[in-house]
Amino acid sequence: MSRIELETVRKRFGETAALDGVDLEAREGELLVVVGPSGCGKSTLLRCVAGLEAVDEGAIRIGDREVTRLRPAARNVSMVFQSYALFPHLTVRENIAFGLVVREEPKQVVLERVAEASALVGVGDFLERRPYELSGGERQRVALARALVRRPDAFLLDEPLSNLDAGTRVQMRTELRRLHREIGSTMVHVTHDQVEALTLGDRIAVLDAGRLRQVGTPDEVYSRPRDLFVARFLGTPAMNVLTSEAASPFLQIPEGTVLGVRPEHVRITTDGVPAKVDIVEVAGSDAFVHLDRGLVGRVSADARPAEGAEVGIAFEREATHLFDEATGERVDRP
Amino acid sequence: MRAGDRRWGGWRQPAAIAVAVAFLLPLWFMVSGSLREPGQPPPRAPEVIPRPLSTTSYERAFDLVDLGRHTVNSLLVAALTVPLAVLVASLAGFALVLVAGRARALLVGLSFAALMIPVTALLVPRFTMFRWLGLTDTWVPLVAPALLGLSPFYVLLFYWSFRRLPPELLEAARLEGMKPFAMWRRVAMPLVRPVTIAIALLAFIASWGNFLEPLIYLFDPDLYTLPLGLRSLETLDRTNYPVLLAGAVAATAPVVLAFAIAQRYFLHEDRGAGWLGR
Repeated sequence: MSRIELETVRKRFGETAALDGVDLEAREGELLVVVGPSGCGKSTLLRCVAGLEAVDEGAIRIGDREVTRLRPAARNVSMVFQSYALFPHLTVRENIAFGLVVREEPKQVVLERVAEASALVGVGDFLERRPYELSGGERQRVALARALVRRPDAFLLDEPLSNLDAGTRVQMRTELRRLHREIGSTMVHVTHDQVEALTLGDRIAVLDAGRLRQVGTPDEVYSRPRDLFVARFLGTPAMNVLTSEAASPFLQIPEGTVLGVRPEHVRITTDGVPAKVDIVEVAGSDAFVHLDRGLVGRVSADARPAEGAEVGIAFEREATHLFDEATGERVDRP
Repeated sequence: MRAGDRRWGGWRQPAAIAVAVAFLLPLWFMVSGSLREPGQPPPRAPEVIPRPLSTTSYERAFDLVDLGRHTVNSLLVAALTVPLAVLVASLAGFALVLVAGRARALLVGLSFAALMIPVTALLVPRFTMFRWLGLTDTWVPLVAPALLGLSPFYVLLFYWSFRRLPPELLEAARLEGMKPFAMWRRVAMPLVRPVTIAIALLAFIASWGNFLEPLIYLFDPDLYTLPLGLRSLETLDRTNYPVLLAGAVAATAPVVLAFAIAQRYFLHEDRGAGWLGR
């Protein structure tokens, strides 16, 4: 296992900057999740690390080696693709063994490593099947086994769970976490799903329009977002943002700033600032309460108010965030 | 069944039968005509089964002209041409997939442009070139076009087929350290097998039915291919149409046989949705 380091990496496609000076490090043995909206450059970042795209500027290091100009195979990384990229004409066994066979490893080594990798991800029972005979989850496991078998320096996972149904995705997310714990390799996982990012990553990196917005543990990034983009991107429903005028009934904030408050920190009480409940969405154990002040609260479904009810709302000063109105940057309170 | 399928469902079978009959009737009359006694005039009305049935026309056709040798010659030329054409066209098509954007657009454009040039426009320069090389009256001019994939159409067909493959498959192969030739052989070609077989069949038909080029390049009757043999038959016994039709059946049968063998590979693609992981 090796750390991966990107130093001021730039990549353009015509007039569009897919990566605009990205500095990022995936530490040794870490599961780093790169998250961002569609088209933010996260897959391009992964493809640059893999060597499938050449960077225009900057440097990429894997371990102690500078790999910026090395061909993909020489970088010794494995990649799991969103579409799994399993070879349909080969059996599961042949797919898993593919990289070893290409590298002309001895037959005994191939057999042992395939058995080991397939046992690790639980595909040992269908080694003789072909990919089109497998479910999405099973294909995903085979793709993981193919990545594992070569024992690469690092793993690159490009939205590997996005083609799965909701149930299988949650299950595979847990399994990915377990797998990472067992093998302890450096992994860079790309996703647009913030829940996946927050639950899976040791650290997460938020990317927007080719620029890195924030890197930190899920807790850091969620609790202390560096700017409005990160604040709004992470969390469901998104963070409430109030101008100083709209925030004045609740808190006095400095001029030129906006107030951010997460829905779970909006307290719906009998006292507090009066508001009317517009819509209530029940999502299992939680309910999202849309209020007429443009606020959304997140409460326990058991304690949800009725639609049209007059309620009072309040939030703790410590649970709120301040951002510069012009730049969107976080403003720390004195 | 979708509404559209239901609407057409009742018509589909009779329509298919009508089309099949329209195409099979001439073939049937060719076969039935070849089974008439040699020297008989054409029937006044369509004759489904001739009376008396006779295979003498076949014996006569093979006596008049050495159709056996010409068939072997055609098979040998096709045996050289078809694999070479498939090999070169598929390699060229795969190369088009691998080259970068602008170069690819230029090469595809050039292939299209080449497709627009009529074969007859090249006959004189090609004949001059092969004569200068001393290769007329050999099979080389017949096989040589296969070195360019036989037709730009085949190159483009392969290119479009390879383009349909998910790019991640080739990227996965690259990540595992595969070189382009190995990718072509071990990843791309197995995934376009129906197209390969269809192109091989088209190349076989083109080679088998090639009349013009053997006519201008071959002078030695021992080297003649089957279309030239048929022409000889027509020259020797112009009015004996059962004999001419017997020759035509002998010339058509290998193509029908080749299609019968090949069609199961490209008409019965039963691996279903998700075969390419999409």
